[in-house]
Amino acid sequence: MTTPDATPAPPVPPAAVVARATSPANRHPVRRSRAVATLLTYLMLLAGAALMLTPFIFSVMTALKTPRQFNITPPLTLPDPATFENFTTLFSAQYQFWVPIAVTAQVVLVMVVGQLFSSVLAAYAFATLEFPGRDLLFWVYLSTLMIPAVVTIIPLYVMVTEAGMKNTFWGMVVPLMFGSPYAIFLLRENFRSVPSEVLDAARLDGAGTLRRLWYVIVPMNKPILATLTLITVVSHWNNFMWPSIIAPAKEWRVITVATAALQSQYSGNWTLVMAATTIALAPLIVLFLAFQDQITRSIGVTGLK
Amino acid sequence: MTTAVALRPGQRARRRRETAAAYTLLGPSFIGVGVFLVVPVFMVLVLSFMDWDLISPPRWVGPDHYADLLTSAKMWNSLLVTGRFVLMAIPTSIVLGLLLAIALNRGLPGSRLLRVLYVLPWVCAPLALGVVWRWLFDPSQGAVNVLFGRRIEWMSNPDLALPAVAFVSVWSSLGYISLFFLAGLQQIPASVHEAAKLDGAGPVRMLWSVTLPLLRPTTFFVTVTSVISSFQVFDLVYGLTGSAAGYPSGTTDVIAARIYQEAFVSLKLGPASAMAVILFAVLVVITVVQQRYFTPRITYDMS
Repeated sequence: MTTPDATPAPPVPPAAVVARATSPANRHPVRRSRAVATLLTYLMLLAGAALMLTPFIFSVMTALKTPRQFNITPPLTLPDPATFENFTTLFSAQYQFWVPIAVTAQVVLVMVVGQLFSSVLAAYAFATLEFPGRDLLFWVYLSTLMIPAVVTIIPLYVMVTEAGMKNTFWGMVVPLMFGSPYAIFLLRENFRSVPSEVLDAARLDGAGTLRRLWYVIVPMNKPILATLTLITVVSHWNNFMWPSIIAPAKEWRVITVATAALQSQYSGNWTLVMAATTIALAPLIVLFLAFQDQITRSIGVTGLK
Repeated sequence: MTTAVALRPGQRARRRRETAAAYTLLGPSFIGVGVFLVVPVFMVLVLSFMDWDLISPPRWVGPDHYADLLTSAKMWNSLLVTGRFVLMAIPTSIVLGLLLAIALNRGLPGSRLLRVLYVLPWVCAPLALGVVWRWLFDPSQGAVNVLFGRRIEWMSNPDLALPAVAFVSVWSSLGYISLFFLAGLQQIPASVHEAAKLDGAGPVRMLWSVTLPLLRPTTFFVTVTSVISSFQVFDLVYGLTGSAAGYPSGTTDVIAARIYQEAFVSLKLGPASAMAVILFAVLVVITVVQQRYFTPRITYDMS
């Protein structure tokens, strides 16, 4: 991928630039201190970026070593030879790491479908329809944005457990799959920017409520829907607290819960644990690199949460 | 609004249809927001006045749990630990995030790639990042001590454990925070900085008297959201310290970890609910105070 700010300078610099570059003013202390400042900025940025990246590199390096290699060589040496032994161990009958991957993938899928469905419908109602109680209701929805997850987690645990759904797939997903106030708020803001003339025209053409949603609102709001999908995938792939209390049983563990369990059960067996964290982190890192523009832009706009 | 005008029968029918349609469309979200968000808030309040372990029948005990929490050393310790964590992590990540944004905003070649690298930890599971750093901090086999060339017990020394957690938190949120400042910086018109330069402002003066005041809305937003999320920090701490809550000797026992421990390990739902209510109250107070402090100061017209 080419970066626009890395475009080369025009082949023939304007006369003024040439004059400035060759004039003695170039050695002026202010100018030189600015060059030094740029260089320092660069060095700091690169050092920081290295600090961002090295933990990931080190953990993958460790995941590619056998426990023996890891114990006899310093932690920062490259794996020689690199081995997938830890990964094959994780996918063996003993650890069955495909189970948490499959469970997490299913959770994410159900969340994306459920969240999009519920939030789109609600946001559409708030954005384009007029009905008694709309403003009060929207205010209630907005104020629920302030409720922290730690506060609702105890009652949700009680609800799901009393319903006999602890350690079941649906017990884990149902409380979170019917739309979030955040998604509804985000979509409503975007749906409102669809001009009412467009919607009125569709209505005059005989398009009913659902048709206007499907043929007017949805096609005009694809970017925000894509953003919301990404946000949902990221937050549910990474979710830990809720799944860890409601579905700790082996057959319904999500990837974060399985990683935490592995770490507490085999602490010290770092090569295996790092293979697990690699599996937990890699899909999202790939997703992020593939959609980095979309994701970084959406953070600026929405505060990815 | 057209409510004052007498409606023709056709219009009235249409309005009735629209109302019915709206409430149907809102149906699924009534489950998500109503049943699983609003109802739990009232439930947690009720639970905080009860004794219950989900096995024996619940018993009403009134405000006893709140009275107990007032004198509970563990509760005060958790509030203190959380406060200490917030004070270590938030100012650091905001100052560094701002500096990072200013550096990235200079348009140096490769800035976009650097930005991606800095944001990378933010999309990763905090639990998994915590586990990775737990290994990096391992006293004998971890990478950090190899780089430092000496054996330091990062995560088992009561003086170092929480700062280490705060460091990892800053590490993972730095790039994310800088994105907000970047967006804020890009909204400042170039003419503002040119005018200041003509008036003879140096780089430091420019940052202090021009850029920072104009970034106040961004700073406000970032501060509020980071403080609120830091008060709930859990996954990262769990990954770094393991299931032994608060290890070593309670110095990393943040309030969310205490609630988790009390509710789901000790199964004391009553006291845990009371803690959750207190946490909620603290967060509401913080939001209101920050709103009061910043709102009079963010009325700058940038046009």
